[in-house]
Amino acid sequence: MLMNAAQMHIKYKLILPLVFLLFGIMLYPLFFSLWLSLQDYRLTRINDVQFVGLENFGLIATDPSFLNAMGNTISFVVGAVILELILGLSLALLIQKLVIFRGAIRSILLAPMFITPIAVGLMFRFLLNSEIGIIPFYLLKVGISLDWFGPGLALFSIVLIDVWQWTPFMLLMFLAGLEALPKTPFEAARVDGAGRWLTFSSITLPLLRPVIVVALIIRALDAFKVFEYVFAITRGGPGNSTETIMYYIYQTGFRFFRMGEAAAASILLIIFILIFVILIVNLSRPKVIK
Amino acid sequence: MGQVTFKNLSKSFGPANIIDGINLEIRNSEFLVLLGPSGCGKSTTLRLLAGLETVSSGKILIDGKDVTELEPRERDIAMVFQNYALYPTMTVAQNIGFGLKAKKTPPKLIKEKVNDIAELLGLTHLLNRKPNSLSGGQQQRVAIGRAIVRKPKVFLFDEPLSNLDANLRLEMRAEIMKLHRELGATTIFVTHDQEEAMAMADRIVIMDNGLIEQVGTPTEIYFQPKTRMVAGFIGNPSMNFIEGQISKNCEISMAIGRIKVNIPPNSGKDVEVGIRPEKIKLDERKSKPTEIKVKVLVTNVELLGPRAVVKMQHESGQQLTSVVDHNEMDKYRVGTKISVSLASQALHIFPRIRD
Amino acid sequence: MIISFENQLSRFLGTIAIFTAIIVVLFPFFWIFLESLKPPSLGGRPDVWFFEPTWENWSEIVLNSGVPLNILNSFFIALITVVISLICGAPAAYAFSRFRGFHGARYSILAAEMMPPAILILPLFLLLYKLELIDSRIGVIIAHLTFVVPVITWFLIGFFDEVPKDLEDQAMIDGYTRFQAFYKVILPIVRPGLGAAAVFGFVLSWNDLFYSLLLTGAESRTLPVAIASFWTFRGIELGKMAVAILIAVIPVLILSYSIQKHLIRGIGGSGVKY
Repeated sequence: MLMNAAQMHIKYKLILPLVFLLFGIMLYPLFFSLWLSLQDYRLTRINDVQFVGLENFGLIATDPSFLNAMGNTISFVVGAVILELILGLSLALLIQKLVIFRGAIRSILLAPMFITPIAVGLMFRFLLNSEIGIIPFYLLKVGISLDWFGPGLALFSIVLIDVWQWTPFMLLMFLAGLEALPKTPFEAARVDGAGRWLTFSSITLPLLRPVIVVALIIRALDAFKVFEYVFAITRGGPGNSTETIMYYIYQTGFRFFRMGEAAAASILLIIFILIFVILIVNLSRPKVIK
Repeated sequence: MGQVTFKNLSKSFGPANIIDGINLEIRNSEFLVLLGPSGCGKSTTLRLLAGLETVSSGKILIDGKDVTELEPRERDIAMVFQNYALYPTMTVAQNIGFGLKAKKTPPKLIKEKVNDIAELLGLTHLLNRKPNSLSGGQQQRVAIGRAIVRKPKVFLFDEPLSNLDANLRLEMRAEIMKLHRELGATTIFVTHDQEEAMAMADRIVIMDNGLIEQVGTPTEIYFQPKTRMVAGFIGNPSMNFIEGQISKNCEISMAIGRIKVNIPPNSGKDVEVGIRPEKIKLDERKSKPTEIKVKVLVTNVELLGPRAVVKMQHESGQQLTSVVDHNEMDKYRVGTKISVSLASQALHIFPRIRD
Repeated sequence: MIISFENQLSRFLGTIAIFTAIIVVLFPFFWIFLESLKPPSLGGRPDVWFFEPTWENWSEIVLNSGVPLNILNSFFIALITVVISLICGAPAAYAFSRFRGFHGARYSILAAEMMPPAILILPLFLLLYKLELIDSRIGVIIAHLTFVVPVITWFLIGFFDEVPKDLEDQAMIDGYTRFQAFYKVILPIVRPGLGAAAVFGFVLSWNDLFYSLLLTGAESRTLPVAIASFWTFRGIELGKMAVAILIAVIPVLILSYSIQKHLIRGIGGSGVKY
């Protein structure tokens, strides 16, 4: 269907710049990535690129360090998002009950989500450092000796850092969600003599459900991209206990120069994320849409 | 000038026909009201005329010129929306002058015209305010001012009074009619409020399900409803309907009695007989052949200011509603039996629609 | 009374919880600020709280380091990215909000927003490499557009959704074309939204490490990459790093404070409805 510019409906004219831009900077790279994943493409041998079919996928899928990175990422996402959800919701409920300083306290508590993650990573790297960090220093004084970035604890520490930075996002969403809730069900519950817990579990939570689902999806997808904390603090270590999928792809592509394999890994990541989103949306849909 | 013609106008969204082939001639300087229940297609008709929706089939003519394919700005019309649609970022003066600016009117002339309009509508002291600092009535005036400043051929009003409170509504109603008398421009006014329609219109168009049910003056619409829908829609409390059969000798038999009528209904044996509540009279005299005498039980009496609504029930189960003067209320006691009469010349006869 | 709970115990616990949260949030900022004022000889000593504050680290960073250039790069890149995003995103967001048939398009914007950078960095790197745009600001701008454009577009859909459709109908009746109605009437109304979207996009670009790390060199290095290069175990660099972090963080905190009330609508607004 060919149309000249004058005949084209204005709605297509309006989206044209965006469509061109996204084709250029997203769709084309995506297909390039697909092509890349089927080649033996090494930065060190850029003139000797060979088509290898699905070989890269085979290599990646059986690579123990890919599986390890995937496992680390999933543990990280699940741990961080659940903690952030619980903390964010609790804080939102508390802030809603504040009588004074509500605006100021909200602004303070939201601050971490705006600052560059690399700065957060580096700050905590030094705050938690076992030799010069303030937190271990004072914990030691009360007799607690923890090696925050040691073998057992490193991934958990990174989860905590993520919680510090991104609980504010959950808080923001839930504050908005709570504010948008209708007043009448709560008044009715008070008249009916429902207690605070009953009101929360049978009115607040169900009404907040759509917001919770959206916040969970946004935050989870974002958490899959975790890179800065790992880059700033552990570089995947100790061993490979904190190597996340983004860090794995970064290493494969830009440290080991194996672009084909890195592309295959990123495509597997996308497929995994897609399945995850479809699952979450389907699990929550019947109750989200009335 | 400002004569509007709809020729077989239709609009459908997907499979749903919103407007189903309407033909209408709107005269120059006329105040025409489009009236109907919500979803009847009256607002869509207006938006088609404005050019805000594309016509599916048929034609729209303004002063004989086919405007069906024209953009809104090329039609020389003005419209007042239900929520006024004032531009929130502009002052009152800018709002009123915005249409003139589109026509590249010199700024000095715009200022002059805006001032004239502001004076006419009593907005002069508000010209530098933003819309959201105005009251509903003031916003309404600005919206009207914006419409009349351009002196268009046709004014369109889409339920403009429904967001105002009752007193203000009466005031604005009078003001719009006064403006119409002074400006003499063709005005098409959409409402779902029959009282408003009756009070303002030269002619009323009653619409239902995307079709025109009847076109006529308020008197015609009230006293000579052409269809069962119009009869039932117009009037408050609404018309009483009684089912009956018609026999060859122009006699209708109903559960409450039989009566001879002079005008035979145009079709069918099964009919519905309608009678306005105010035509049901308390009557103790002997019955005449042109009346039905009915014995009924008074079930409820409601005082509505100077009038009272009386609900009655015949032993067949037929409900009747009557409206009486409040000082006659004593004659209607709940639980008592009374006899009322229905005069044959007050009856409206419609073919019964089976469903 | 700070918090309104019926019984005293919950009131007490609630207050404690809020205060704890505030301290947890503020402490790192407080600490990094102290570090920036510590003389280099005391840098990284966890037991030193009282010292003669010095501007040595600050002057070192501002006068004798690449950080001012990094700031300029970050600022320039973020600014251009945002301008391009608004030019392409605002008309499209308006179209998505107003016209039928774009339901799928809305969600492809969301999908683009969620696209992991891992999949785009490889082709982008190779393309920019072939175009000889590695270590150029243009290269970083292109990369940043991949996440700023979808975010800004998504952000704006929510704002356009809230403008009554009657307004552009009115403008068209008043004698304007649809496009004029868009930029003369609708754009001015959503100006706060445009501002908020611009600030948010700016912050995202300003904060990015991943793309900038791989696409910049000495000339085009952005502030986060510079901060990352203070990556060192030697306490002696800590003060300078603290200064660089503060320089990166303070403007962003001020900017985002100004758009806080619009953020909800932007990030979740159009999503919460689905």
